[in-house]
Amino acid sequence: MGRRLAVPLLLAPSLIILLGVFLLPMLLMLVLSLQNDQQQFSFENYLLFIQDPFYTGILWRTIRVSLWTVLFSLLLGFPVAIYMANASGKVRGIVTMLILAPHLISVVIRNFGWVVVLGEKGWINELLLSIGFIHEPLRLLYNELGVVIGLTDSFIAYMVLAIATSLYSVDQSLSKAAAILGASRIRSFFDVTLPLSLPGIYAGVTLVFSLSMSAFVTPSLMGGTSVKVLPVIAYEQVMSTLNWPLGAALSFLLLGSTILLVALFTRLAETKRYKEVFAS
Amino acid sequence: MKKPSLAGIITVIVLLLVNLPILVIIPSSFTAAGYLSFPPEGFSFRWYAKIFERPEFIDSFWVSLQLAVITAVLAALIGTLAAFALAKYKFRGSQVINSLLLSPLTVPSLIIGIAALLFFTRIGLAGTFAGLLLAHVLISVPYVVRLVLTGLSSFDFTLEKAGYMLGASPARVFWDITLPLLRPAIVSGMIFSFLTSFDNVTVSLFLVAPDTTTLPLAIFSYMQETLDPLVASISSVVILLSLVFIVILEKVYGLDRLFGLQSQSH
Amino acid sequence: MAAKIDVELRNIKKVFQNNVVVQNFNLQVEQGEFISFLGPSGCGKTTTLNMIAGFLEPDEGDLFIKGQRMNGVPPHKRELGMVFQTYSLFPHMTVAENVAYGLKLRKVSKTEMQERSKRVLELVKLPHVADRYPKQLSGGQRQRIAIARALVIEPSLLLLDEPLSNLDAKLREELRDELKRLHQEIGVTTIFVTHDQEEALSLSDRIVVLNHGHVEQIGTPADIYHRPASEFVHTFIGKTNKLEGRVVARQDRLLTVETQSGLRLKAVHPERAVAEGDAVTVFIRPEKIRLTAADAPADANRAKGKVELTSFLGAFTECDVRIGTEVLSVKVQMLDPGLSLSIGSDICCQWSPEDVLIMPGERG
Repeated sequence: MGRRLAVPLLLAPSLIILLGVFLLPMLLMLVLSLQNDQQQFSFENYLLFIQDPFYTGILWRTIRVSLWTVLFSLLLGFPVAIYMANASGKVRGIVTMLILAPHLISVVIRNFGWVVVLGEKGWINELLLSIGFIHEPLRLLYNELGVVIGLTDSFIAYMVLAIATSLYSVDQSLSKAAAILGASRIRSFFDVTLPLSLPGIYAGVTLVFSLSMSAFVTPSLMGGTSVKVLPVIAYEQVMSTLNWPLGAALSFLLLGSTILLVALFTRLAETKRYKEVFAS
Repeated sequence: MKKPSLAGIITVIVLLLVNLPILVIIPSSFTAAGYLSFPPEGFSFRWYAKIFERPEFIDSFWVSLQLAVITAVLAALIGTLAAFALAKYKFRGSQVINSLLLSPLTVPSLIIGIAALLFFTRIGLAGTFAGLLLAHVLISVPYVVRLVLTGLSSFDFTLEKAGYMLGASPARVFWDITLPLLRPAIVSGMIFSFLTSFDNVTVSLFLVAPDTTTLPLAIFSYMQETLDPLVASISSVVILLSLVFIVILEKVYGLDRLFGLQSQSH
Repeated sequence: MAAKIDVELRNIKKVFQNNVVVQNFNLQVEQGEFISFLGPSGCGKTTTLNMIAGFLEPDEGDLFIKGQRMNGVPPHKRELGMVFQTYSLFPHMTVAENVAYGLKLRKVSKTEMQERSKRVLELVKLPHVADRYPKQLSGGQRQRIAIARALVIEPSLLLLDEPLSNLDAKLREELRDELKRLHQEIGVTTIFVTHDQEEALSLSDRIVVLNHGHVEQIGTPADIYHRPASEFVHTFIGKTNKLEGRVVARQDRLLTVETQSGLRLKAVHPERAVAEGDAVTVFIRPEKIRLTAADAPADANRAKGKVELTSFLGAFTECDVRIGTEVLSVKVQMLDPGLSLSIGSDICCQWSPEDVLIMPGERG
């Protein structure tokens, strides 16, 4: 088989699917989002979003929930990554397995588990009530806290793995070098380990943020009707209200605001020194 | 032995938390009570028996299973072919094609679902099994491409030449040498595609017909109305099934490698 | 007056998972001395260095630096300088920041910090790279900066962990001379870990030869080379010919040994007593054997043979000579006129009894 023929033949199936199920649909969605209800070209849908405090409020909530998720994942995930980086190969493998395995189980099911734990008659409330620590069940579900817990559970693995990967590539002898120069463990952590894990932290933060911004299942199941985020609103516009142009515009606004915020963050994070040190 | 560090304690807590849902669901599914409670009251299989009284779960399970199996086979085939073209033939624009093929990973699946719905409605694929299947293949192919490309990056193409020199035809070489060496990557791509399809909610949400829903979607819809131990028993079945595949995946390829983690053991 | 002792190891022992990695390690390092730990990988040299640095704790024994017992003192409180095999420069700090880091931790004033950093960079002849990042430097430059970083804090002891092994051959030699110059200039007590005998021989005041966690010998480079305490030391350092034989005669300090193939040779009696009839191992360095014409007059140690293999290596030629069932390797720097090393030529090997090393085998 000559290469002249081979390449197009091998690539054809994947490119056809890409075109028919992804690229053309995205293009159509873009065109639809730029139409008003008379099917004329207009920015109506986008302007509506920017001018309506209901929608900007939704966007702000989506961002807020995502930022909290990033913070939780970072605070809980960083120590795990540190632990993995210092552990033996065997322990590292076990931790990796235990953090990744639940990841391959449907998010619907994992959210259900959390509902059982966090609900008004859930395990935590029953436990705290029975020992008399509280007298009224805590509201851990169907609010932003519930969504943040669910999202953190869903995405913390990405944070851990991103940071752990960057820590693995840090030469172990660097912390030895810092120690022999007179740095205590804590000092060496802040002077050497932390700065060198920054690429991993950046990668983890952007990944968890993007995933949280577009999460649909967890906000639906653990936020209920009271914590509507942008993806939930977009779903409602498409499936319930059947306002497809607005639903399309909301999709692009979600995509656009995520990309914009990630770009902004990258700009802030990648100072000149960062580029000097980490650019390949 | 070192004394437990703060990082170690937090690690144990995090590992417990991410596995908590599974640890909670399984005991809950054996409750004898008519509601979810802590601790589960009594022990019975009644909620497992109940599954069979709900045809929507049985039907959707079969839909999901068929969908996932066909998706896995198609995605593995299509993705492997594409990865081959990219790795073996260095042609102009191969970088562009590569990022294009991986681009569905960068767009939220919710948006992929909405876009597919809008487009499929125009061409009559909305609400059909074929439409659903195509969308699942689309989101699975990038994983296969990535896995097989990684497999191929360490593949020594001189082995193929050695095969030719020994007198094997191109088809023989592919069958006897190339394929066996890439089998772990392809099989992992297949299993990963299976799990991606089997777990998917956000794409299926927009593309299923009212009467042919998938299992996770059926659970999702049921959960929004009722929360009872039936969800726990169905979930336990799915967890068990997923665990089987996770173990195979770990054995065949290694979860750490699957997630692009360079595991340096020492 | 006895010299001041800077480092002392007393009966140091280290066990990893039931494997004894180091034991019975006793050593006194004098102030200003350059000591090498030499041995094959796994001999315990790096483990010992790590115990001196404080990254590992000895299971038994005591470690003193400048008279103070150091067991249990963490590395950051030991005031040592260390250079690692992998350079270990902080990639996110410039050269100047790397060098100044130890001073920063010691809260040295800014002006003094700049002053001392500048001086030490001049010492390693790299004052112009201060503002660069490590990855912008070559391997040799990185290692010089690593040395500068270790020296700037004026450590009581400098530890070098195979600092040259990641460099290519030419650079390695260059940096070896540089290390020698630096040591002569500042005279800091130095412990150097290496598996390269040439490095150890050329740099050290004394060498500690290690094998399987045992100290085989401690001595000056000349001692180690010419008067090895064990077969291991002799075979590990330099090339050698090894022959098995038996003592057949003894005349004052001169022994006559007959090898298994019947070759008779004379040797000076070793320090350990051997009697007639004892099995011994005989060693002769290739460079101690002289090749002469096959019909040259007889000498104390002289054997006729045939050239079996010659390899021209530039500065010298390596030649294998078969004598009966034995093959002797000979290093030829200058060939007597009229001799030919072509394969199959008849040739004669000669060496003096002083150059034959006898190691007693089992009694029999």
